[in-house]
Amino acid sequence: MMAAPISIRGVSRRFGETMALHQVDIEVAAGEFIALVGPSGCGKTTLLRIVADLVDPSTGEVRIGGDTAAEARRQRLLGLVSQRPAVLPWKRAVDDVRFTQKIAGKVGFDPAKVLREFGLEGHENKRARQLSGGMLQRVNIASAMAHDPSVLLMDEPFAALDEMKREEIGEWFDRELGVRPKTVLFVTHHIDEAVMLADRLAVFSPAPGRVLEVVPVPVPRPRDPSFRQDPRFVAIAAHVRSLLMHRTVDA
Amino acid sequence: MSWTLRVATPILSVLGLWYLAIFFSGMPAFVIPRPERVLEVLWVDRAFIFENLLATLEVAGFGFLWANIVGIGLAILFDLLPPTRHMLMPAAITLRNVPYIALISVLMLAFGDSILSKTAIVALSGFFPVLVNTLQGLRAADEVQLDRMRILNASWWQTFSQVRLPYAIPSIVAAQEITGSGAIIVAIAAEWMISSTGLGYVINNAMQNYRGDKVYAVALLATALSFLIYSFVHWLGRRLDWRAGDPRR
Repeated sequence: MMAAPISIRGVSRRFGETMALHQVDIEVAAGEFIALVGPSGCGKTTLLRIVADLVDPSTGEVRIGGDTAAEARRQRLLGLVSQRPAVLPWKRAVDDVRFTQKIAGKVGFDPAKVLREFGLEGHENKRARQLSGGMLQRVNIASAMAHDPSVLLMDEPFAALDEMKREEIGEWFDRELGVRPKTVLFVTHHIDEAVMLADRLAVFSPAPGRVLEVVPVPVPRPRDPSFRQDPRFVAIAAHVRSLLMHRTVDA
Repeated sequence: MSWTLRVATPILSVLGLWYLAIFFSGMPAFVIPRPERVLEVLWVDRAFIFENLLATLEVAGFGFLWANIVGIGLAILFDLLPPTRHMLMPAAITLRNVPYIALISVLMLAFGDSILSKTAIVALSGFFPVLVNTLQGLRAADEVQLDRMRILNASWWQTFSQVRLPYAIPSIVAAQEITGSGAIIVAIAAEWMISSTGLGYVINNAMQNYRGDKVYAVALLATALSFLIYSFVHWLGRRLDWRAGDPRR
């Protein structure tokens, strides 16, 4: 399915007395990769859940490919990758991927073939507890993409992995998106990960979360691992870090 | 420990305590008969006891079935329509706390010595653990799995049958271990009070004739039966439990 644009306009969200998000506006082009970066509790996950139609905004609206978020969800245009893998513990990896297709009523790809492409050859018939954290997250991503959604919503998907695994799986995922383009909203705490993967970074203030600045990464994807040593990478990461540092100190 | 030793140890320890009780209590044989006398009664009266055993199994079986239909049914209803929980749960808790003797008496007055009254009391005593455990199990489903189903626009039935019910199975099985073995005990108690059939009736009849040996024979049979049901449910539960074989458990 074609990647779809996302339009987030004037979105705020209040939980009781607490304002979690305040007047967030982000326009995401079809096929674009946007990282949402900010301190803990700044409302990044809330924004992701609003786009996923799992939480209603208090004000503002989200349009995905011209439709409301609820309509996009009903049309099964969305894929969700959570930090904790949503792989059903009683299913084999390949059956879990098939399960998404069965529920969505859509077959995006051949599950066994894609799991092999995802580097899981020989592990297709294992259950969640038999897989390492990195393998499990690959199955999780395969399951989230199995019905060929237009939009992937990812909530700190690599946070449970160690630094080496995180970089490795990030590079792999970047290449995968080259094969199966999606519009991606990617929540992360890791500035380096965000700069490495995203086309643009939406940097959030501490709660109530507002977009302080949208920082572009003007290098085409997929990016070579050597980009981490590139002066542009270092400069962008330093700029984002200083934005977050100053705002956190101010708060 | 080997299988033979695991079976033999509890039997030998029970027999040992039994003989010690006979030896030290000084009670007459109709209060504490010898184990061999109890086994002899079981053999000699086997036709009579077996006939009544079938009656007890019928009551316990139907009661157990109804306890599950009501317990699981109410749990699903409460889950599907949360306001029904506020409407019906107080009634369920009240029923749970009414002394069974009073319930048996009322049911006896309403339906007489019938399978309906005895089955009803077994069902009433067993549905509550099934209800509470099923409710708890349905809530045990992982939030990330539920989010996944919502994002895929899954129907209520798909989410229930594919995610929530499998997560609830270990809790439902745990309830069966209580309700299954309890069904035999409650059926015997109901028969003891109001019936002219079943193992409860045999105990009552034996008591009136000072036949302690027969009471012990039935007690032995009922205990073995409860134990067998518990073991079977436990074994079945292990087969159904998706967590079985997890090295972290």
